[in-house]
Amino acid sequence: MLTIDKLNELGANTAEGLQRCLNDEGFYLGLVPSALEKARYEELDQRIKAKDLDGAFETAHALKGILANLSLTPLFDVVNEITELLRSKTDTDYSGLVDKMWEQWNKFAALL
Amino acid sequence: MGTFVEQRLNLKRKVLVVDDELINRKLLSQIIGRDYEVLLAENGRKALRIIREHQETLSLILLDLLMPEMDGYELLEIIHNDLELSRIPVIVLTAEKSAEVKSLQMGAADFIPKPYDAPEVILARIGRTIELFDSNTIISATEFDSVTKLFNREFFMEYAYLHDQYYPDFEMDAYVLDINRFHLLNEMYGRAFGNDVLCHVAARLKELVKERHGVACRDSADVFFFYLPHTETPDEVYQYIEYSIRDLWQDARSHIRLGIYPKVDRSLDMNRRFDCALLACNSIRHNFTSHIAFYDAEMHEKEAFGERLISEMDTALQEKQFLVYYQPKFDITGDEPVLASAEALIRWQHPSLGMISPGQFIPLFEENGLINKLDRYVWYEAAAQIRKWRDKYGVTVPVSVNVSRIDICEPDFVYEIKRIVKDNGLRPQDYYLEVTESAYTENSDQIIEVVNELREYGFRIEMDDFGTGYSSLNMLTDLPIDVLKLDMKFVRNMHTNEKDYRIVQLIMDIAEFLDVTVVAEGVEFEEQYKLLKEADCDVIQGFYFSKPVPPEELEKFIVKED
Repeated sequence: MLTIDKLNELGANTAEGLQRCLNDEGFYLGLVPSALEKARYEELDQRIKAKDLDGAFETAHALKGILANLSLTPLFDVVNEITELLRSKTDTDYSGLVDKMWEQWNKFAALL
Repeated sequence: MGTFVEQRLNLKRKVLVVDDELINRKLLSQIIGRDYEVLLAENGRKALRIIREHQETLSLILLDLLMPEMDGYELLEIIHNDLELSRIPVIVLTAEKSAEVKSLQMGAADFIPKPYDAPEVILARIGRTIELFDSNTIISATEFDSVTKLFNREFFMEYAYLHDQYYPDFEMDAYVLDINRFHLLNEMYGRAFGNDVLCHVAARLKELVKERHGVACRDSADVFFFYLPHTETPDEVYQYIEYSIRDLWQDARSHIRLGIYPKVDRSLDMNRRFDCALLACNSIRHNFTSHIAFYDAEMHEKEAFGERLISEMDTALQEKQFLVYYQPKFDITGDEPVLASAEALIRWQHPSLGMISPGQFIPLFEENGLINKLDRYVWYEAAAQIRKWRDKYGVTVPVSVNVSRIDICEPDFVYEIKRIVKDNGLRPQDYYLEVTESAYTENSDQIIEVVNELREYGFRIEMDDFGTGYSSLNMLTDLPIDVLKLDMKFVRNMHTNEKDYRIVQLIMDIAEFLDVTVVAEGVEFEEQYKLLKEADCDVIQGFYFSKPVPPEELEKFIVKED
């Protein structure tokens, strides 16, 4: 069950996210599942694995934006880190960061 | 101006949110939806469609940069380069510092960072941007002439004034540019061609003032003002502008003319300086050889004198400073000349300026429409005088009065003439109306209609100044006239110049053919009188018999006849 309290427990800054939604909890909670759509994270994962750094950057950048707006902070932090590396086209081993991303995603997705 | 109207009517403004992320679109809709009508697009291409559809009423675009199909930069460029769309402000949504700078350079009005600020901040930024663009739109709409995109008169005067403030030591020239026969260009080639000419002139003026550090505007229809640092070679200015349009109107027999007030007197109000240049420009309106005229001391004095006469006309009418003189016309068909009628002519006995010649005030009053008032004064005085003579001597001396084209166009003209005659107990045939030949040729249909009505009523119509108005011979046969008044310039030299005499004879033949009487004006010498008699002229008028005289003096001719 997705609630504000449970999101807070996972480290989301819901106060900030809610403020952007004019403190409309229902509206805010209604947006969160879209930000956790699994297919998009899988897309990022696959593009990184395929060394499609430009494509991966686009996906990461888009995810980063929505996670920031909803202030799902722990997930945002790791996606942000991936985005910045991709922006500079850093050819490195992303697997650790991708695992971390899935770890956070799983925590949030478990609430849905 | 759509946004301005919305502001005035207190309507909900439209804001377009362009973002490929549904969450971001929803978030922004939530934030601004209470204050604005929100339109949504998920990419640049779709956004452009919506923008074009709502371009008149769209107040703002919130634009994400990284999007599929058409990204924010591409859309921003399209908007920025489109004259119509560029009036819609764009706020860019971005998380990148570098993108902020780039988008501002590309014409974005502002940016909103991601993640979004507090809703209040976003709303404040949107509100401020819309307000700023509204003001700009209103200023632009009022600042520029819509056809030529030059300043309009009000803003021009303001900028010319500021120019003076910035360059207090510059000697400046005020220019007025007018296009001769512009109304004909519009009529013959259509308004679009006319506007094209105006835009070419305007484009050239823009280059000129840019090059010479001046200011320009379109004042009205085909009149432009510009203000430039003084030059001793205004011919070059003329050539510079004329060159740009020469090809455009090669068949149209048009040209531009410049009125220049050089080295303006800075103590004069800016509007006044351009009045002076305009006066110079108008002084060559009918001159097809001079294209440049300067406002100078002589023009200034003439203008001041004219202004004085105009301002004093009403008082002069009230105080009866205007005197009606009468010049007798003699019938020369018999053995002895016989008084046939007289022409009423105005004189101004000014209390301090003395006798003012009609040549000084009639053209002036004709120009600004005051002539109508003066003509009516003469009509009334002349009718009253015919009555006085009839009461005193028992004879009717018909008097002719001048009727201008402007008089005839007055809606109550016929009524007024009939009333004057009736009020004085006269018959219409006692009262002659002199209409100049040029009046017939300038607005023939209306003139002919009115004159026909008067003629049918019984008035006698004299065509004045015949031979100066370029009537075509076939037109003459249709004109409602009883008398041709032969212009004095034909009479003047007829006794010394064989050609002039032949022309007079020719006109006599035309008159005979038309079965109308001929009155010769300006007869001064016996030789002229004899020649005219020989040529079968019916009536003569001129100094040979009498100059125009006050009514009392004309009475001696009446007594003599009696």
